[in-house]
Formats: sequence, structure tokens, C-alpha cells
Amino acid sequence: MMDLIGVDTQEAYQLLREQINTLALKPGAAINESELSSIFGLGSTPIREALKLLVHDQLVVVSRQGGLYVADLDPKDLKMLSEVRVGLESQAAGLAAQRATADHLLVMDALVLEQSKIKADDKEAWFDLDHKLHQAIAKASGNHYLAHSLEKYFGLSQRLWYLALPKLEFLSSAVHEHVRLVESIRSGDSQAAEIRMKEHVQGFYLKVQKLIEN
Amino acid sequence: MTDTNKHQNLVLGIDTGGTFTDGVLLDYDSHQVLATQKSLTTKRDFAIGIENVIAGIQIEDPSLIKMVSVSTTLATNAIAEGKGKRVALFLVGYDRELIENFKMAHQFATPFHYYFQGGHNLYGQEKQALDLKGILEKTAQIKHEVDAIAVSSYFSPLNPEHENRAYEAISGVCNLPIVLGHQLSTKLGSVERATTAALNASLLAVLQTFIIAVKRAMEKRKIVAPLMVVRGDGTLMSDEFAARTPVETIHSGPAASAIGGRFLSQIDNAFVVDVGGTTTDLALIMDGAVTISEEGASVGGYATSVKAADLLSIGLGGDSQIRINRDGNIVVGPERVVPLAYLAEQHPIVKSQIRSLIRRTWEQSSPDWLEYWYLIREPGDEDLSKNPKHKQLLQILQNGPHALPDLLKKMSVFHPSQLGAEELLRQEFFGKAGFTPTDLLHCDERFVAWDAETSEMALKAFSHYLFKEPEEVQAMIWQTVTEKILKATIEFLTGQTLPEQEKSSADSWFFKNAATRDHPHLNTNFVLSYPVIGIGGPASMFLQKVSEILHVELVLPNHYQVANAVGAIAGSIMVEEEILIYPKLDRTGLDVLGYYVQTSSKRLEFEELQTALITAKETCREIALNAALRSGADQPQVVVEETSDGLDTYRIRAKAFGNPRLSG
Repeated sequence: MMDLIGVDTQEAYQLLREQINTLALKPGAAINESELSSIFGLGSTPIREALKLLVHDQLVVVSRQGGLYVADLDPKDLKMLSEVRVGLESQAAGLAAQRATADHLLVMDALVLEQSKIKADDKEAWFDLDHKLHQAIAKASGNHYLAHSLEKYFGLSQRLWYLALPKLEFLSSAVHEHVRLVESIRSGDSQAAEIRMKEHVQGFYLKVQKLIEN
Repeated sequence: MTDTNKHQNLVLGIDTGGTFTDGVLLDYDSHQVLATQKSLTTKRDFAIGIENVIAGIQIEDPSLIKMVSVSTTLATNAIAEGKGKRVALFLVGYDRELIENFKMAHQFATPFHYYFQGGHNLYGQEKQALDLKGILEKTAQIKHEVDAIAVSSYFSPLNPEHENRAYEAISGVCNLPIVLGHQLSTKLGSVERATTAALNASLLAVLQTFIIAVKRAMEKRKIVAPLMVVRGDGTLMSDEFAARTPVETIHSGPAASAIGGRFLSQIDNAFVVDVGGTTTDLALIMDGAVTISEEGASVGGYATSVKAADLLSIGLGGDSQIRINRDGNIVVGPERVVPLAYLAEQHPIVKSQIRSLIRRTWEQSSPDWLEYWYLIREPGDEDLSKNPKHKQLLQILQNGPHALPDLLKKMSVFHPSQLGAEELLRQEFFGKAGFTPTDLLHCDERFVAWDAETSEMALKAFSHYLFKEPEEVQAMIWQTVTEKILKATIEFLTGQTLPEQEKSSADSWFFKNAATRDHPHLNTNFVLSYPVIGIGGPASMFLQKVSEILHVELVLPNHYQVANAVGAIAGSIMVEEEILIYPKLDRTGLDVLGYYVQTSSKRLEFEELQTALITAKETCREIALNAALRSGADQPQVVVEETSDGLDTYRIRAKAFGNPRLSG
């Protein structure tokens, strides 16, 4: 990566992506290149190059008039994303129940334990640990194609996460769900693991959907 | 401007030394030096000096440059000054009691080291189960306190299983960079491996920032070319490789100098002496390659398992301060200052002050009056608010350079150590100037860049204080320099330590007599077997007499002043891979069931030793070749060798090397 694109472009890309994913740049907001350039203290060329990459990521959209804006959170997209993730995540959980090693389970335990200790307003830590637990389960599934696909869809869900985070009751129930999920993986019960993961992911999307509709 | 049309393959070499950052533009095929550029090294941020060199190099169309290569003392300095990042070191299967009893814990280069159960034995068998739970608990506890994690497990080169499992687990719970011991060294010394892993982890961010800064400077001048970094043994690695193994850049500067000396002189066996502004570095070139230290490089007092050039660095250079010690003897170095000629050129007041020095009484003309402190950069408000003494000092210096006794008086202290100004010096808020060999060169008109008159008056004042004639004092100073280099040469080549000169003994008499050649009846001689290659600006003056005493020719190749930067591009790209083969024992430990072949990433099992060795050689060759190609080597050659470690354990080592593949 370092050789293919310039270092400034890379920095601009990471900064902008972060801004969009954490909702600092609001969905649907118009993008002003020169404004971004002065905010980040980077030249206009790296900003333009970075925006091209973000268009490719479907996080930035080009309007018919040629203007750029941050991709909207579309209820239709949300539904499709939910369908894919519910299917793949529960498959991963089912396989993990059959294949997880003692090492895998230790990592899951450590993550759930850490999650139970997080401060309620530490959004980054919440997102990070949830992401890691899903990665740990995907890894334990022993199927790297599956893990790779999950990673991609999880990334696309990051903005939804930040949207849902202010709803605190959602967090404590999530920890509870995670504990039960890890327990069913430990006991080797594929079916239970699949069902729990399905409920967990589905529940998340339903909450986000409500938030968007309101 | 260089006419670049005739040249097909332009390459740019850069060396960051203690005083100067040198750049050299070279035609790769004809070895012709087309342009050189010098810039002051900025200690607080090496990238600034490099940016200046890249920005200033005289070339019409920089896009014609097909490779940039950098040698840097960044890693060495960061370790010596404790400026690396905070690292947690996880020691798996290490005997805590043993390490504490032998007081080896300080060797680990980080205060945050923790012991866990696990590790393997000499036959790659699990010594104890790995305490992964403990590792994960510790990780959760410290992950916000450190910048990187290093893991070293007992006998991991024979069996890295515990390091790999630790990696998988730790990377599952945190985003910190993780360094594993077995990836850096296949040597069995467990403490050195742990130290190397910890140092490497502490340097990751340091080198990454540096590489990004260099790339940014290249982009600014539209240079689209591979970037290489010089290793401690003078070979090259790609920037990507260097960002992962920064610890391998230890000693890269002196190694590059030696290689550059050989490249320019085309002499394959020689003693290479690089005289810089701050240090003089000694190295040996044998059969066209710089000799390597077998036991691993040591840096900042830490023993590592990093392969680096065998060299000796002494604190003596063109900008070494010349002083008189308590016994009344002349000393040159190790402190580096700015020559008075330079300071007087910038600040004429210094010149008139030094002129008046000769007319003073003896007590009022001590060489302390030849040391000046001067402001380098304006401090910001926050820099001033921290310490009232620092504030006062910088405010005084804002009015211009001050001679040391004058400054001490204004600050109402007796000794500079009372000022506690080391940190301000290191941060380059102020600098010191003084009487140096560079000033002597100005007196002789051998090298005149700045105000020669000031240098002459400084020599007069210095001589006046010693009740001697300037010519005599000058000869005494050069004799001190000669003896210092000669002593270092003998100690470097023989591994023996010579006694301090003040003590009288047979060996010091022998040495002194060889250096001065003044005994009426008995000659003692040192005869070096190879010529001396001199490198660096002051080399001609510093080394002429040294080579006479050693009875060899002093070779000063064309462009010897910038041979260090030439060396940064003259090395070949090299990748080394090592595979260990050792017996698989049964439970009793008496019967050999077969042989393990342990590569850096996997372990294979064979019944027969011969099949194991053959497979190991093939695998090793392939891994080294692919890594060399990935690092940018052009048609690399591979040499495979087998050695025995004893105990039915074997090592297969493959070296793949080739010239760098130029872009375009």
C-alpha cells in the first residue's frame, strides 16, 4: 500500500474514513474539498485521491451534478446488509462451536470480561471490543473465506454502530448476549450457537432500523 | 546543474551522521559521482536534514532518480538516548530467579517485562504448558500503558509454537504491534533474543515515522523510486522490511562508510577509517565485504543478537573540542562543538572577544574562555515556563553567544553542571562552540570555510595559556589526535586494551615509542597488513601520520568526503534465512524417532536426517530467494551452507543477494 499510493493520500484516506464511520461527517452531508483540505492541513491532491478511494468503498457518493456527498444510511441497504450478516455470522458461530480450540475460547473470555468493565460512554472501546469478539468467533470457525467476508460486512456496519451506541440499554444486553453466545460455543452446541448469534445480530439491526425510521 | 541526459541509472544515497547529513547522486553503472549535497544533521528530527538534502540536490529532473537509499543512526541514537517507545516484554518459560540472581533483568531494555510459564527445551519439546490465560490478563492490564508488545519464548528458534500462540491470542484482543523473538534471531541466546525483540518493538514507530518523512520529501521532488535502508552489516533492505525490523539498522552509518570506501577505491582488503565531525569509526574490509561481529551488535549498553559490522567508534572528529585536562595535558574530544571559526562568522562579537583574550592575564585567559554557548532556535512560551533556570539561560543567550565563564557569572553558578541544561542542549535550543581541529585546519589554510582569523587568535590564546609557541602547540594537538586513532586501531585489531598513557609500563612505552619514534637506539614499529582508506572531510589531516606510523599507504579515493553516502547505495540487497534441524526424541529422551525441520513459519518432520537436510536446503533456498525478490533484488544469487551446532542439531543458512532493481 505504502508504495502504491502517496503517504499523504493514505493519511487523508484514513482520516476521512474515520470521520465518516464515526458519524463526525454526517450521512448525506455535502463534501467540500477545499474545506477538508484546510481542516486536515493536507494538500488538495491527496484529499481528492482519498475521496476517489472512498467512492470505491461506497462511503462517498457522486451526485448526478458531479458533487460529492457522504453516503446516506438507506433503510433498504440496511435490510440487505442485515440479511447477509445474520446468515454468515450464525454460520460462523455454528462452526466455531464445533472447532474452537482452548486458545480461541480464552481470547473470547478475555474480550467478554473486558467488555463488562468498559465505561458506558467509551464509544471507541465498545465498538473495538465488539468487533474483536466477532473476529474471534470468525477465526474459531476455521474458515478464512468466511472470516474475510464477515470482516467486510462488519466494516460496512460501523456507521450503524455509532448510530446505535447512544442507546445505553442496548449495550448491557449486548454483553449478556455475548456471554451466552460464548457459553454455547464452549459447550460445542452448534445449533444453540447459531440461534444465539442470529438473534444477537438481528436484534442489532432492528434497533438501528427503528432509530433511522424515527 | 548536472546534465542527466547521458545517464541512465541515477541513484541517490543519503547518510545521516552525527554532524552532517550527506547526499550523493551517482550514476549507478559508471560509478560516477554527479552531485553532492551537505546539510546539518537535525538531532531532534533526522527527517529535516534528509528533507534538506533531497530538496537541495542539484538535478534538473529528479524523476530520473531510480533508487534512494538511506543509512541512518536513528535507531542507534534512539536506543542510546532512551527515546524509543514503551514496550511490554513477555518472557515465556524464562527462569525469573536465575535472571534476577545474575542481575540480568536490566538487559531487557524495558522496565515492563513479565514472566509466564511455557517454553521449550533443547529438543524443541514443550517444557511447560503455555500460560495463555495469564498472558491475556496481563495484556488487558497493560495495553493502554505501552506502545508495543514483544514476546520471547525459551528456545523459540527450535520451536516457536508458544510465541505464535501468544501472537494469535494477543492480536485477538488488542491493536498494538507485536514482535516475536524467533522472527528476529535464530540464535539460541535467550536473553539477547528477548532484548532484540524488545528493542525492535520500541523502534517500530520511530522508524516508520522516519520512512514516511523521507517518502514525503521524495514525493515533493517528484521522485518515484524504491526506497532502501542500510542494515548494520552494510547490505540493503526495502523500506517495508526496515519498518518491520528497525533493530537491523543499528550501526548502519559506519557500515555504509566502509562499503563506500571500498566501492570508490576498488580495494578489497583494507582498513577503513571514517573521520566525521563527531566520531571516528574504524572497520575492516576483507575480500570486498565489511567484517561482521560474530557475537551480535551491542548498542547503548545492551547486548543484542543483531548481525552488524564489527567496528569501533571513538569520540574524535573535526568538531571535537580541544581542551586542557586537570593534569595539564591536551585532550581532543569526545565532546562535539561547533568550530569557533564558524561561530565568529555568524557573530562578529565573538571575534573581538577572542582577540582581547591574548592581552589578558594568565588566570583570565584559560581555555574555558574559548567555549561559547549560543542560541540555536527561539524557545516558545511553553518551553520557557517549565524551569526558571532554563528560562534565564535562554534569555541571556537571546542577547548573543556568551563565553562560558561570562555565562556562569551571569547565572551566579560555579560549574556548568549546576545549570542542568543537558535537555536544552539535546533539544537543540542552544549549542556549544569551541576550539576544534577544524579551527586548526583554518590556521593552516588547509580548509577555509569560515573566519580563519578567529581560529588563529584562538590558537594563540590557547598557546599563551600553555606558555608555548603556536607552532609547537599545533604539533602537540595533532600528535594527540594521531595517538588516539593509533590506540583505537591497535585495540580494534587486536582486542587488547592499552593502558592509559599516563601510566608507565612496557606496553605503553612500546606504543609511545612507535607513535613518536624518538628513542635514540631502539625502534619499535607497527606494520599494518593493508592500506588505510580515509573517509570524511578531515581524513587527509587526521590520517596521514597514522598511516606513516603503521607503514602503509593512505588511500583517499575520489569523493572520499562523501563515501558514507556512496556506501548507502553501493551495498547489495541481502536476505538471510536460517532453518534449524534437530532430533525428535521419544518420551524417555534416549531414542531418536526422526528429525524436525524448523523454518521461521512451520515445522516439518522426517524419519531420516539426510532427507531432512535436503528438504531444509531446498526450502531455505526458496524462502531466501523469494524474500530477496520481494525486497527488490535484481536476479538474486543464493548461497546455501550447512553448519552443525553439536548435539545432532544442524543449521542451514541461505543468503540471497543481488543488486537493487532500479525503477523504470
